[in-house]
Amino acid sequence: MSYRRAPILFVIALLIAAACSQPPPASATGSPTPQPTAGGAASTLVYYADVSDLISLDPAVAYEFSGILVVHNAYDTVVKFEGADLANIKAGLATSWDTKDAGATWDITFKLKSGVKFASGNPLTADDVVYSLQRVIKLNKSPAFLFTDIAGIKADAIKATDASTVVVSLPKTASAQGFLSILTFTVGGIVDSKEVKTHETAGDFGSGWLLDHSAGSGPYGVDHWTKNSEVLLKANANYGGTKPALSGVLVKHVPESTNQQFALEKGDADVARNLSPQQIAALQGKTGIATTSGNSLLLVYLGMNATVKPLNDVNVREALRTAIDYDGIIKDLLKGNAKKVQGIVPIGLSGANESAPFQADVTKAKALLAQAGQTAVTLDFLVPTGQAPGGVAFSDLAAKLQSDWAKIGVTVNIKQTTTADLLTTYRAQKGQLVMIYWGPDFPDPDANVGPFTDYAAKSIAFRNGWDDKTIAAKGRDAALITDAAKRTTAYKDITEYVLHNGPYAVLYQPTELFGLRSNVKGFAWNPMGWLDFASITK
Amino acid sequence: MRFLGFLLRRIVGIAAVMIGVSVITFAISHVIPADPAVAALGDHATDEQIAAFRSEYRLDRPLVEQYVTYAEGILHGDLGRSIRTRRAVIDDLVDSFPATLELSFTALLVSMLVGVPAGVWSAIYRGRPPDFVVRLLALAGGSIPVFWLGLIVIGLGYYQLGWFPGGGRIDAFVAPPPPRTGLYVIDSILAGDLNALRSSLLHLVLPALTLGYFSTAVITRMTRSSMLEVLGQDYMRTARAKGLRERVIVLRHALRNALIPTVTIIGLTFGSLLSGAVLTETIFSWPGLGRYATASAVSLDFPAVLGVTLLAAIVYPLANLVVDLAYYWLDPRIQRG
Repeated sequence: MSYRRAPILFVIALLIAAACSQPPPASATGSPTPQPTAGGAASTLVYYADVSDLISLDPAVAYEFSGILVVHNAYDTVVKFEGADLANIKAGLATSWDTKDAGATWDITFKLKSGVKFASGNPLTADDVVYSLQRVIKLNKSPAFLFTDIAGIKADAIKATDASTVVVSLPKTASAQGFLSILTFTVGGIVDSKEVKTHETAGDFGSGWLLDHSAGSGPYGVDHWTKNSEVLLKANANYGGTKPALSGVLVKHVPESTNQQFALEKGDADVARNLSPQQIAALQGKTGIATTSGNSLLLVYLGMNATVKPLNDVNVREALRTAIDYDGIIKDLLKGNAKKVQGIVPIGLSGANESAPFQADVTKAKALLAQAGQTAVTLDFLVPTGQAPGGVAFSDLAAKLQSDWAKIGVTVNIKQTTTADLLTTYRAQKGQLVMIYWGPDFPDPDANVGPFTDYAAKSIAFRNGWDDKTIAAKGRDAALITDAAKRTTAYKDITEYVLHNGPYAVLYQPTELFGLRSNVKGFAWNPMGWLDFASITK
Repeated sequence: MRFLGFLLRRIVGIAAVMIGVSVITFAISHVIPADPAVAALGDHATDEQIAAFRSEYRLDRPLVEQYVTYAEGILHGDLGRSIRTRRAVIDDLVDSFPATLELSFTALLVSMLVGVPAGVWSAIYRGRPPDFVVRLLALAGGSIPVFWLGLIVIGLGYYQLGWFPGGGRIDAFVAPPPPRTGLYVIDSILAGDLNALRSSLLHLVLPALTLGYFSTAVITRMTRSSMLEVLGQDYMRTARAKGLRERVIVLRHALRNALIPTVTIIGLTFGSLLSGAVLTETIFSWPGLGRYATASAVSLDFPAVLGVTLLAAIVYPLANLVVDLAYYWLDPRIQRG
């Protein structure tokens, strides 16, 4: 060993020693970038989650769970749902709204609250609302179809009649109730048009800037988003509502659930988003930890292609539905982490049908098969790879169904493939039995009843080759009913019919599980996939 | 001049590899049965949306035309736009590659600093207890799956002992250093930010140990076996006979000769470190290329997959080039040709 190298080693040793010693006071760090949080860990909610789906924080672009969570807390909407309720639309930025029959259209007039300010300090006016909603249509990104296809509107359908009044003209084919539900969603988030216009480049409506900044009037604003690592939200000083208790929210990207569990137990995380039912069970009773659950609007279901023999026979489909051990799936495979729902509208939306008549009746199922003239049936069963909502492997679910059906003489060949691959087959109406899940695009029963009943919509009914024109027409009519009670009754009738005649077996509606530090209070999960950070304390 | 020719041949070789890799990856990613448009747009997309997507990404054009457009883009430094993140692939790579490079370099450093001395030690004590211990640890290193090891390391180092952070590159409440190289350790030193340096070094320990264990084991075994071979050579006996100190014999005469095969292994290991990073990065929430590659592959994001593959196609031959240069230094016979 040469002595010439000694000084270099000494310098390296010194550097490591310096680095590992106690940090110097903040003023001496010399770092040109500001510290990321004002209040530090004590006043920041640390939220561990797999946010690999994060694409953009722009309300006109975000349509993924993680993006929705952030956008919801940074932007206000004209109307909103409160807490976990998805049946009663409440005032948001608008104090009142009124739907009028204007001959060729439904005209919805919104009167805006006065004195609302954006995080920038700019006042919120009708021009901001018009700019924001038109921006969604003009940008035409993932969630734009809610405006253009579901509500059927073009940019010129949205007008400001004065500084505090906005009128939206809907075509008569669209449901006013459905459109109001869409406006509660993040796509209806109102952006600060003055601020956003200063960041426009090449006609992008400021989308490049809003990708990782925010310009809303919500309780929090985006401080920074470090790709693949974290998003930090800071309380909006100009927020008009009740001031949030916590000055910041750190959404940290931690894909591995064991890591989330460790961090929660160590107290480094306040919330762990992606824990399995087994992990939640292990955490129960531990000091400093609380677990909670929230509803989701997903339905895990089985599609039965009605163009394939013998699935074209309604009795065969009913036999398959009847043979399934739903209770076993929920109790054993999902550890109780789901609701027994068999209708096509999830619990939580108006019009949900709580009737769940099927449960592993082998005798009845065999009789149904005999009635259809079938004794031995063999079918292909397409199953996605990975975890099903609720925390069970799709392959385990498939094996359970396979054994349930074996009891009535139905043999299925499980073919497991990636979701993308499965959807390619399913969309082309080429599946036989297909297991997959569905979540509504907006919190209204029409978002499920349409796809599940209307063959012409080329969605789920089409994929399963189920062309029932009567029920499709009933579904379209129900969407347009303005009387809430009549609408609910109409949807109950439709779901009851689909329950026994449709080509589906809805397996369950999963529950979302969360691990929390026990000092975290005010945590209320909204089934649309968000949570109001402003109501949380710790 | 001879050296320059050697370098030039290597660079031409890298270019050829890249063309080959791009053609093969492009072909594979475009003939798989699943439709990237369906993967990107999901269950709810209408046929019109899928058609619009296919036309935006030119999926409706003949395969050869698609490749030519893509290759033209590469020549202009444009790797296309990622389907999943909707950003330019080159920007995604610039964001995630330095994290992986920092982790892999640290892991490699650990492997060399531990593996070479352990191999030498083991060879000297051949057949005695130190040799058994080293061989056992090396055997374990070669057989333990990274995923399991990562969970054990994190469970011990973070959860039980609390000595090291449980994941990420830097503490959430410490500002990252201003980016110059993208390597947090280097950037912290450049910025003179000891707080960031301390945090990023601590964050490196567990993932680097996890990732480095396999390569440490490989390097140890390679060093041991080549040391044993060299120690049995005639010139070793000569060196001993002329009364050289054991230390000089081992370090000057034996190790330098034994290092040549080890250097080859180190070069190859660097490649495996990059691929091993996929799992390590997931366990340790490390925002690197491995995780980007997995997420892209799962969502059939072919522009991103192609981008990652091309980057790997540059890194592997570059690592081999470094190995060749190291030979050049280690073995005078190569210099003389």
